[in-house]
Amino acid sequence: MYPAIIEDYVRPTSVDEALKAAGKYEAGEAMFLAGGQSLMQAVKSRLVRPRCVIDLQALKELKGVSAGGGGIRIGAMTRYVEIMSDPNLKTAYGALADAAEHVGDRQVRNRGTIGGSLCWNYVAACMPAANLAVGSSMELLSATGKKRAVMVDDFIKGPLETARADDEVLLAVTLPAAPAKAGSAYKKWGVVTDALPVIGVAVYLELDGGGAIAKARLAVGGLATGPKRAKGAEAALAGKKAGDPGLAAALDKAASEIETQSDHWADSTYRKNLIRTLGADVLASAFARAAGK
Amino acid sequence: MNKTVKITINGEIFEQSVPIRLLLSDFIREVAGLTGTHISCTYEGVCGACTVQLDGAAVKSCLMLATQADGHEVTTVEGLAKDGKLSPLQQAFNDHHALQCGFCTPGILMNMDEFLKKHPNPSDDEIRTGLIGNLCRCTGYAHIVDAVRDAAKRTR
Repeated sequence: MYPAIIEDYVRPTSVDEALKAAGKYEAGEAMFLAGGQSLMQAVKSRLVRPRCVIDLQALKELKGVSAGGGGIRIGAMTRYVEIMSDPNLKTAYGALADAAEHVGDRQVRNRGTIGGSLCWNYVAACMPAANLAVGSSMELLSATGKKRAVMVDDFIKGPLETARADDEVLLAVTLPAAPAKAGSAYKKWGVVTDALPVIGVAVYLELDGGGAIAKARLAVGGLATGPKRAKGAEAALAGKKAGDPGLAAALDKAASEIETQSDHWADSTYRKNLIRTLGADVLASAFARAAGK
Repeated sequence: MNKTVKITINGEIFEQSVPIRLLLSDFIREVAGLTGTHISCTYEGVCGACTVQLDGAAVKSCLMLATQADGHEVTTVEGLAKDGKLSPLQQAFNDHHALQCGFCTPGILMNMDEFLKKHPNPSDDEIRTGLIGNLCRCTGYAHIVDAVRDAAKRTR
């Protein structure tokens, strides 16, 4: 595996400069490079052959997590190693830290970024599923200077497809200010520790004053068709408290409504079992986080 | 097609015009002539033998273009020993026989060197989890874990 010839490499110092550099090429010929832990693999295997690589490493405004009254903003170039230990991502948005903490290995987490993962949208990536559950929003800037926000549900398309246009840069992933009792969690199972998920399950819960689920979002990754929300299960979770036998019934619903594939890692039935068992684990974690435990 | 890059490796500056597609691992081996950084999995990013430190963080050098490291500091396994004296981690690998063929060792050392700075008192589980990105086909890892645990003790 070795890259084909690359004609140009630029390292812009502003987002505008990055977009201008991309504008010199036909769509798809110039590619933005974030941490490169997926893209460089694709370049080396020649799945993609960019004429120009636009390295975003110098764009400081794309890095870091900030929290304010309006919610949390995660710069697209924020690395997994920073997300997994960020104090703002422990409870309501703990699913993002869970996902970041188990991506690949230390070396990958030292380079890989949340924005890179979301824009690449590999089927077995953890970040797309975790973001689907927490309901994040993508802040995109286009070469024409137009800024737009796209909900993750609309951003994530089929495998390796997103709503990002070739002349757009993902600036940040934003999260609304969470209510007092909110918690989320993500867990995956793979053939070896921290491998790509055969199945990954993420759940986000908002609890009412009595500790019952007021709102739930449940997403499954590791699917041939890309990450999916289990909306029937989400509806079934409403009103349930921690320990309620109805939680298992809701997870049964998730397992039945999500279409799972059979491949050399696991058959469809096994994947459905994983949805149930991982689902029970993430529900327990999300309840505990929402309750401040 | 070519870019002039300036990369500091183990304190020494290497400045040269290189093809943009040149990987950092090959810059280190072929331009800087530092062959302690190994290529084991034909640049697939799965074995960790090419792990170096980029500005202090352990990264796989085959997953980067050399141009991405332009202006940065790289430390390779050759940069661990000071004045001919092995680092405590290297010495612990020697003492515990934590290598057999030694091909994976440079990558493991560069990963664990950073790991120990972040985890000065690691549990065995933390050490094993920290080693996920480095394949060793000889040792079964037991002696490697022993060495890292002992190096932590010697460094504290």
